[in-house]
Amino acid sequence: MPEEQQVIDKPESREIIAPGYTFGTVTDQIATVVLTKKTPLFWFGGFGVGLALLFGFLLAVAVLFARGVGIWGLRTPVMWGFAITNFVWWIGIGHAGTLISAILLLLNQAWRNSINRFAEAMTLFAVACAGMFPVLHLGRPWLAYWLFPYPNTMGVQPNFRSPLVWDVFAVSTYATVSLMFWYVGLMPDLATLRDRTNNRAARFIYGIMAMGWRGSARHWSVYETASLLLAGIATPLVLSVHTVVSFDFTIAIVPGWHSTFFPPYFVAGAIYSGFAMVLALAIPLRSVYGLQGLITDRHLDNSAKVMLATGLIVGYAYILEAFSAWYGGNVYEQSIFWNRMTGPYRYFYWSLVFCNIVAPNVLWFKRVRGTPALLFISSMVVLVGMWLERFVIIVSSLAQDFLPSSWSVFQATRWDWLTYFGTIGLFLFLFFLFIRLLPMISIFEVRTLLPQAKIEEEVQG
Amino acid sequence: MTAQALDFNLSTELKNDLKQWRTRALGVGIAGAVLCLIGLITNPFQFYRSYLWSYLLVLGLSLGPLAWLMLQYVTGGAWGVVIRRPCEAAARTIWLVALMFLPIVIGIRNLYPWSRAKDVAASAMLQHKQPYLNVQFFLIRAVVYFAGWWFLSWFFNRWSAVEDRDGGEVAHRKMAFLAGPGILFWGFTVTFMSIDWVLSLAPEWFSTIFGMLFIASQMLTSMAFLITLMVLLSFRRPMSEVLTPRHLHDLGKFLLALVMVWAYFSFSQFLIIWAGNLPEEIPWYLTRLNGGWQYVALALVFGHFALPFALLLSRDLKRNFKLLAGIAIFILCIRCVDLYWIVAPDFRKASFGLSWMDFTAPMGLIGIWLWYFLTQLEKRPLMPSQDPLLEEALAHGRE
Repeated sequence: MPEEQQVIDKPESREIIAPGYTFGTVTDQIATVVLTKKTPLFWFGGFGVGLALLFGFLLAVAVLFARGVGIWGLRTPVMWGFAITNFVWWIGIGHAGTLISAILLLLNQAWRNSINRFAEAMTLFAVACAGMFPVLHLGRPWLAYWLFPYPNTMGVQPNFRSPLVWDVFAVSTYATVSLMFWYVGLMPDLATLRDRTNNRAARFIYGIMAMGWRGSARHWSVYETASLLLAGIATPLVLSVHTVVSFDFTIAIVPGWHSTFFPPYFVAGAIYSGFAMVLALAIPLRSVYGLQGLITDRHLDNSAKVMLATGLIVGYAYILEAFSAWYGGNVYEQSIFWNRMTGPYRYFYWSLVFCNIVAPNVLWFKRVRGTPALLFISSMVVLVGMWLERFVIIVSSLAQDFLPSSWSVFQATRWDWLTYFGTIGLFLFLFFLFIRLLPMISIFEVRTLLPQAKIEEEVQG
Repeated sequence: MTAQALDFNLSTELKNDLKQWRTRALGVGIAGAVLCLIGLITNPFQFYRSYLWSYLLVLGLSLGPLAWLMLQYVTGGAWGVVIRRPCEAAARTIWLVALMFLPIVIGIRNLYPWSRAKDVAASAMLQHKQPYLNVQFFLIRAVVYFAGWWFLSWFFNRWSAVEDRDGGEVAHRKMAFLAGPGILFWGFTVTFMSIDWVLSLAPEWFSTIFGMLFIASQMLTSMAFLITLMVLLSFRRPMSEVLTPRHLHDLGKFLLALVMVWAYFSFSQFLIIWAGNLPEEIPWYLTRLNGGWQYVALALVFGHFALPFALLLSRDLKRNFKLLAGIAIFILCIRCVDLYWIVAPDFRKASFGLSWMDFTAPMGLIGIWLWYFLTQLEKRPLMPSQDPLLEEALAHGRE
């Protein structure tokens, strides 16, 4: 098919999969990472860091349970502090995974096929980390089930007018749907691993997990329906979860929180930080495991463009926020804004402006988008910036509240930091386990990207 | 069929059709304009009020396509190729739309409380906003908006003409290069335009999502218009040979997405303001949810969201030319209701009401605009024959 070849080799249509792959080599390359006996040193390094931080997290949580939330820097009126900052940050990171797996699937964006698996795993682990914080923040985490409206003898129900209750439903739905979507997508690949491994125990475990997948036409037809349905269910979640998170702030009439564009602005910020995390994971992974042929420069370029677009929306929001603080004419709003820029948190504020608005503009340049090292640095800058953003929104609005006599400066304690870095450890720990035990790229979906797959389809159709 | 085998020039039958449509549009436009003139003499206050919301609709018909044009260059989507020429023609009407802004400039004191010295003297809030809300700066901003929009429209039309003449690659790259910054400029100007021309009607009130809501509304209005137009064009050559249900399906998806975005933004704004219940915010909704206006609001919930949403979910419907055009026309009508609900209650705080000029003003404006748009549409072939994405777009339709 010389004509087909020409279309593929056109200079401007950069490949989403390197030329020369066959069905066999795709499967080999991805499955070997899992089935090999030799584990690269990089893996032990990453896993070790994750494990060490995870132990730190366990220590911090043990002390927290023994002594209470007073070990954190929480002081009236700043009662949300690091816990809610970290919660919003983590849950935001998860959004890119859902966007890639669900929305890009519905939009027929084939390039997503090689990054959706680990992006979805990232979502799951980020949601797990996020879920820790509201529960730890309760003070009496063993009573967390009180958040749910369950029938009880005292007839007590949570207040359904509170967005915090909506959050419980939004986040738990999100976690459930993400897990199902991820697991359904894994099944064909689990069967591949089951069939290829030489280890009996591994064959048994992968076999159980693959739920008897044989790859029959019937299986595929059911699979396609299920994954489209799950994508349809997951799509509104990309918007709804962070919208509900933004309601946590806007429904409260605290100056600096009560702004009508928070819902789309939070969603854009979530996708912004999520894509930064996707890049921060993809760039080292593909070079360590030699996956540049599957996660190509095109993927990095596209992700960087999404980052730029969402970053510009975030920038738009800052400009409008400043304008409306003045234009709205509310003195409390104005003083909060002035305090953010010149008060005790000014360094945080201006760093976040730099990290989120100024720095990402380098992504306008193709040279930067084509240089993985620079992309990696910019995604790190964005991740820091988005954390600072949540911190500034939460803490600066609470610390300088309506009563000047209660004003104070929030001081994070070492337990705050240890808990935060501890969840990063939990994330790394889970993520490194995932890349060692499961295929980090979807084998069968990447195979559909091959030119061979396309021609067969055309002959049939 | 490849692109070479197709002739994208307008067929004689289509030219005859366009001529007929043009004459009718001009007739309706002139009739509307004459009636508006009578209204201007008998009741100038009402004239400006009716004119403002009708003008916002026409503005969306011209500005929205400009955004679609830039968006397709940025995303490199083949979906944009079939609507490229109508978008370019609509963008070329921007100078006429700028001309149509003049009555608002003349009637500024009838419309905006902040432009009346007496009102400003009476309100501390308006004095606070004086540095932004004053007549000179308002006019300067309007000039900047129109100059920018005109430049973008000129740029994308010029290079598209070059592309037709000299082949695709260079011109296409030039347009893709400016499209990113262009969208940025478009987003900011439309936001501040909506603050200047609409939000400042109630100068005490502010909502940060208002600009985004306006952006979404303009995209929705223009997509509904483009779909209607594409279906009308599809009966005659060349579009009868190009346009397939698959193309229409893509445009229908945009329509559905924008209906949802509009609902999402509107509901977010309402929920946050309702729950906050602050004295500086809630009056805007209190006006619009009392005195008969609540029924208009309810009509919007059903007509602007629930009904089109439920219908557009259907895949078959999005591929059915006539049905989709029907929904698009319905959306254009409900857009009028939405604009009226946003603009008019500030002038009719006590209760809902309609003036006869609320029918003649859109008649005049849309009629004249449509006439000019159709003149422009005729000037170029209906498809960009040298576009690098043309083959992909045609092949996509056959899938």
